Amino acid sequence: MNEKKLGLFSVVSTGVGLIVATTCLMSLCQGSAAIGGMFIVSIVLACALNMITAASLAELNALMPNLTGGLAQYTLAGLGPFVTLVSMVGGYIVCNALMAPSEGAMFGLAIVELTGTAIPSSVISVALTVILIVINLMGVDMFAKIQDIVAFLLIGSLLLLGIIGMIGAGTGVQVSQPLNLTGDIMDGINMAAAAFWLFIGVEFIIPIAKYVDNPKRNIPVGMFLSLGIICIIQIVMLLGLHNYTNWSELAASDTPHILYGISLLGNAGKVWVGLVTVLAAISTQNSVINSITKICYGMAKMNMLPSIFQKTNKNGSPYIGILLYGAVIVAIEATGLASASSLGFMILVASVFWMVSYIISHINLLVLRRRMPKAPRTFRIPLGPVIPVIGIVGMLYMIVNISTDPAERALILTIDAIIFVILAIYAAFWTKYKLKMPLFKPLSIEKVMAMENPLYFEVRKRDSVRMKGNKGNSVPIT
Amino acid sequence: MSISRVEIITSMSKMDDLRIELSKISVTGMTVLQALGCGVQKGTLEYAIKENTIMELLPKQMIILIVPTEKVAKIEDVVKKCLYTGHIGDGKIFVSEVTDVVRVRTGEDGADALD
Repeated sequence: MNEKKLGLFSVVSTGVGLIVATTCLMSLCQGSAAIGGMFIVSIVLACALNMITAASLAELNALMPNLTGGLAQYTLAGLGPFVTLVSMVGGYIVCNALMAPSEGAMFGLAIVELTGTAIPSSVISVALTVILIVINLMGVDMFAKIQDIVAFLLIGSLLLLGIIGMIGAGTGVQVSQPLNLTGDIMDGINMAAAAFWLFIGVEFIIPIAKYVDNPKRNIPVGMFLSLGIICIIQIVMLLGLHNYTNWSELAASDTPHILYGISLLGNAGKVWVGLVTVLAAISTQNSVINSITKICYGMAKMNMLPSIFQKTNKNGSPYIGILLYGAVIVAIEATGLASASSLGFMILVASVFWMVSYIISHINLLVLRRRMPKAPRTFRIPLGPVIPVIGIVGMLYMIVNISTDPAERALILTIDAIIFVILAIYAAFWTKYKLKMPLFKPLSIEKVMAMENPLYFEVRKRDSVRMKGNKGNSVPIT
Repeated sequence: MSISRVEIITSMSKMDDLRIELSKISVTGMTVLQALGCGVQKGTLEYAIKENTIMELLPKQMIILIVPTEKVAKIEDVVKKCLYTGHIGDGKIFVSEVTDVVRVRTGEDGADALD
């Protein structure tokens, strides 16, 4: 069979599509409104730190190629089950539990702006989520088919809107205002955490490695190019914002990206940005619901989450996961936690989880390098541990400076700390009593690699059933 | 110029990649044998729960290269990177000295017989 494989262009387009979400528009507009052109420093710094993460992930991918689980499997081999549980449940499931309602909020706000309806945006967000839950329960992933088109529309629109604004070709009135709202470069550096959200998700490229032609070259190059392209698009957008939208109006708006569309092209701009936001928000929220429940299903299969997440309905959908996760999203949306004013706050809370996951990835790399110094790899970060250590320090710096407002910073870190403590307690009990493994004993790389083989769990399940007389449906990972 | 023998034992699926990669670094010839064998895992499949107590022989291939010793380090590097997947059964490389090579058609010997 001669299967056509994805080239570098497809890797880059998939990567850019996976990284850019509608909430990025909110982060960009809020960051720009706060410090003006100096936010370019934040964007470049956040991009550079994410490129370092991409480099670490690329080396881990070279060391453990073709893994579908990515970060979870690297951590299992690097730091053991306890850290894997905390970082995967924390870094992904909890973080995405916050991301999905944010996308829902973007949808609701865009609909209100577009139609002028009196229905509260939170009600519209909940309605969307309920529809997506039903669709996912039916096992219909209709948006997967249009996901690439929607991503292309979003990115193409961002670039076009940015260029039109940057060169002053809009139909609206240009604004005369200073580019920079601050002359202190430290303000730009301290805002890097706010720009971090623009670049998250580069690791989503890893699972497609097995479908890529020459993945040894195309995966690392694809990750770097994706981040670089997004960096350029965001800078172009910022320059467009400067030309057409008053910084203070931008800061005060619930839908700053739509405000930019109106300022740039009038009603046509409003409809353009509004429709793209609506489509992209639906697509992203759907893919988050779909992928998170699948991750939970996979983790339950590896006995890292309760086996209830393995239950599927007649359509093959992991319905317990979909319903539980859907309930969390609806609860956040219905309580107004994902309102326009708190969207930025939620994004920062979620960012910390993501940053911790990236720190753990750097540590995984350093640990595995030490444990397997001679293992051949097609990609290796130069200068020994220097670059991963810079990555760790950079992420820690962003966590410490997650917000420029001390009160907000304290609240964000407190919320994150509480969630991490809860996760750590869960992970400690689960590892000790369910997995019956030492908390910090890593699995060997070949054991983790073997888990990729579907027969790994099949033979253990068979063995478990034989031993327990049909009582056990969970599979030990050892 | 000294000559070395490089023997590579690996799974059946890697032959094409290896052939292409070795051609890129000017390896002038190779001999491939189909083989049966096992390593330290005694042929235990990676997803199996218990390790075999009696050796199970699995289908493998042995690739034999006779090359100038100065090329061995480069060849080892290319082969390692080409065969590496992280899975059990990626293979082994053996390097040994060769005292002489004779090309029968021309009577050339030593390194001349390899060019």
